Amino acid sequence: MSKSLREELESTFKNIQVSILEDSRMAVTAETHSVLAILRFLKDAGFDHLSLISAVDWIEDNVFELCFILTSYMQNDDEYTDRQKLHIILKTRIPREQPQVKTAIGLFPNAEPYEREIHELFGIDFEGHPRLTPLLLERDYEIPPFRKDFDTRKYVEEVFNSIPPIEIKNK
Amino acid sequence: MDRNQIAKWLEAPAKMANKYSLHAIYFCTGCGIIEVPPVITARWDAERFGVIPVATPRQANLFLITGYVSVKTLRPIIRTYEQMHEPKYTVGFGSCPVNGGMYWDSYNTIKHLDKYIPIDGWIAGCMPRPEAIFIAVTHLWTLIDKDMAEGYVRYRKSYRAYRRNQEMALGKLDWPPLYPVSDEPRGDEQ
Repeated sequence: MSKSLREELESTFKNIQVSILEDSRMAVTAETHSVLAILRFLKDAGFDHLSLISAVDWIEDNVFELCFILTSYMQNDDEYTDRQKLHIILKTRIPREQPQVKTAIGLFPNAEPYEREIHELFGIDFEGHPRLTPLLLERDYEIPPFRKDFDTRKYVEEVFNSIPPIEIKNK
Repeated sequence: MDRNQIAKWLEAPAKMANKYSLHAIYFCTGCGIIEVPPVITARWDAERFGVIPVATPRQANLFLITGYVSVKTLRPIIRTYEQMHEPKYTVGFGSCPVNGGMYWDSYNTIKHLDKYIPIDGWIAGCMPRPEAIFIAVTHLWTLIDKDMAEGYVRYRKSYRAYRRNQEMALGKLDWPPLYPVSDEPRGDEQ
């Protein structure tokens, strides 16, 4: 069943690599501009749950990699087929100099907090996102803290360790 | 009541009453809060030591900082601490409030909590056993007896320094100072 999905994907989209990692896991690598179309295609094919969007900073290759993980809700036992047991990882690479992608909120509304978090921690800009406001962090960072070129030890030394201790005076 | 302690009760009744009725604010800071439900329920039963969890800071006089403190959590910790009634006691639970623990190089975790609010005692360990809370409570009794658990006095005296550190960590604070912060340093302030 998953083999036919693979064939469908490869015949529909150009410049796409599909690999079966395990029986229940499939990885799709695509270009950035075709991500939304592939997401729409997979959603129509029954993968109606976006479990996660995550990002990886490949600093040697000078790219960010976005991973969309799709599964499907299993509503009844008779609908529980092999195809619905599949996890699909959709990967795309975007350049570090201009980290911009289109938001996936139109397809999956639950992408909103994931995209906000990635925007905050990696500095990736999601076009069309309604509110890219701070979600988790309290302070301003010059470099978003999950990027590999963010030096945490230097940051800790400069910010937290520079705060002086309170002197305890003897009575 | 222990007969040996009657003299102490007559000497300083308020201190003894404070000692044996510690009301701990139930503030879930980090992972260490997982040790608190067994402590307050039937297995270890903190009420033997007079420790009861309460819901709001207005009713509490013991503040357990259970686990790592992120920058965002520091703000409610300070607000909670300032709302508590005096005398109030603070105990840092776990190694993370002491010096950051395993988050010593994290970008978003407060490393030394005693730079921001006064701490009366520490429980080291990751995680400390629930028995460690009772050891801390008995140590706190000793400190209260000897007038050494006076973090709240320290907070009042060095409030300028504490407030300055809080502002260095959090930026501008959106609540007024608890004690007057004058421009000229007085003798008892830093």
